[in-house]
Amino acid sequence: MQTQRRSLTYIAGRALLYLVLAVSSVMMIVPFYWSLGTSLKLERFVFSSPPQWWPNPLTLQSYVNIVTRIPFMRYFSNSVIVAVSTTLGHAFFDTLAAYAFAKLIFPGRDRIFFIFLLVLMVPSQVNLIPMYRIMATLHWTDTYLALIIPNLTGVFGIFMMRQFLMSIPNELLDAARIDGCNEFDVFAKVVLPLSLPGIATLVIMTFMGTWNDFLWPRIVTNSESLFTLPVGLAQLQMKNTSNVAQIMAGTVLTALPMILVFLFMQRQFISGMMAGALKE
Amino acid sequence: MTVASLSNRFKRVMWKYSMAYLFIVAPVIAMVAFMFIPMIVSFWWSLNDYSGIQAAKFVGLSNYIQLFTNDPIFIKTLVNTTLFVLMGMGIGPTLGLLTALLLNQKVRFQSVFRTAYYLPVMTSLVVVSTIWVMLYNRNGLLNSFVTGLGFPKVGWLSDPRISLVSVVIASIWQGFGFETVIFLAALQSIPRELYEAAMIDGADAFLRFWYITLPSLRHVILFVYIYGIIGSYQVFDQVFVMTSGGPVYSTSTIVHYLFTKFMDLRLGYASAIAYVLFGILVVFSYVQWRFFTERS
Repeated sequence: MQTQRRSLTYIAGRALLYLVLAVSSVMMIVPFYWSLGTSLKLERFVFSSPPQWWPNPLTLQSYVNIVTRIPFMRYFSNSVIVAVSTTLGHAFFDTLAAYAFAKLIFPGRDRIFFIFLLVLMVPSQVNLIPMYRIMATLHWTDTYLALIIPNLTGVFGIFMMRQFLMSIPNELLDAARIDGCNEFDVFAKVVLPLSLPGIATLVIMTFMGTWNDFLWPRIVTNSESLFTLPVGLAQLQMKNTSNVAQIMAGTVLTALPMILVFLFMQRQFISGMMAGALKE
Repeated sequence: MTVASLSNRFKRVMWKYSMAYLFIVAPVIAMVAFMFIPMIVSFWWSLNDYSGIQAAKFVGLSNYIQLFTNDPIFIKTLVNTTLFVLMGMGIGPTLGLLTALLLNQKVRFQSVFRTAYYLPVMTSLVVVSTIWVMLYNRNGLLNSFVTGLGFPKVGWLSDPRISLVSVVIASIWQGFGFETVIFLAALQSIPRELYEAAMIDGADAFLRFWYITLPSLRHVILFVYIYGIIGSYQVFDQVFVMTSGGPVYSTSTIVHYLFTKFMDLRLGYASAIAYVLFGILVVFSYVQWRFFTERS
């Protein structure tokens, strides 16, 4: 009797657990579904009452419009160019610097690293306006240079990679040095292959950050031909409020690449999230 | 030791050092050019009346004084942003912890649920905000639920009494999955033996949570709040896309106000706003910094 009651409460508890999980997950998915669904509707059915849960008729017209009437593919390729070059920059410069901070001995090392970390305290908005002026002075505003150059390396990436590289045993590096490798060879032939998982995490985090970045590209670009996806989408949303289906096609095209990358590289995403939060 | 071998040794050491300096030269240049110099320039401008076109005019602290004594809109943005942080931090991490606790109950399809919570986190805030503008539309999905339940339509983003709450709701929806993922990983790293021992001692679920789970999570909880507070105080994208700070400044936030002053070419004034933000965040940033230095 006792065990039976316990198993009953157990089953009820499990049922409740799955119900809560299912309902909350649906609440997370519905806005995405709604944007996808809306992007496939005719504009006059977007706000129809009762709401149309399945687009009828189903049309790709908004997608056609967005790539023919608006340079959305241009935004897309700009986003790819900026995100890929920024990511390559971080993977190279952050890892190299992290290696120096983690494994090499040189005067001023700890002091410089300390100052690096100190800079993490300053919110980026403090630098924003002078940065804009620097870009303007160099005639870099409204070019890829302003979108890419200031973001090629960063303290957080260096910090994260340094934590990762410290776990590589020194004996391994010494062995390579005894075999006659110079420091760059040690880095390229020993450190780099071992740090690939860390770099994968760094790559994911940087790519996501750049792909979704808004304020900086919004400030340093004026021409539509240089807009990244978030800037282009925000502009579309403001100037074209009566065409919701088209705007939603824009959200789908902006979000989809990130979601696909995530589904293939979930593990790196998760460990990237962890990098800041947990002690190893 | 001969002079030749000494100088050889010197050369080798120098070579070794120069290699290390070569490795860090790019970040150091970036740091100086894109952080230190702008920081100092920004502070200098905050003491000036500066439009970016005419020459700067030194005005001492008057930008700061004006912000706090003669700019009710700025005070409004301070209040709004603080309310945004309080509501967001009051609910977001709690939701993250609750969902993480649920997912930690040996749930099947755990990664599917986790992905659902996490999906908005990696989506651009511009995308998320754009979607919520549609959901919040007067004839949108949310209002069709509201009217379906027999209530009158809600002006989610057009009613200044609730517009800030609407922005908060969308922001929590976007962000709490981050906390879910972090708390879940932390929960999974708590040794099972602790719970088993507590159960033998007769501790019920609440006592186990209170005396084992919470203390084990204290580091992560601290991180989540510090990180969240710093991030939330800098809220911009949602406001820019969803409301542009309106209606009647009901959703205007510090960074959004800074942005509008920047667009008005009041660069000195905008710089002062940036430094006020820095001042608000400095305590939290200090804790975050301690967090990082302790680990390295």
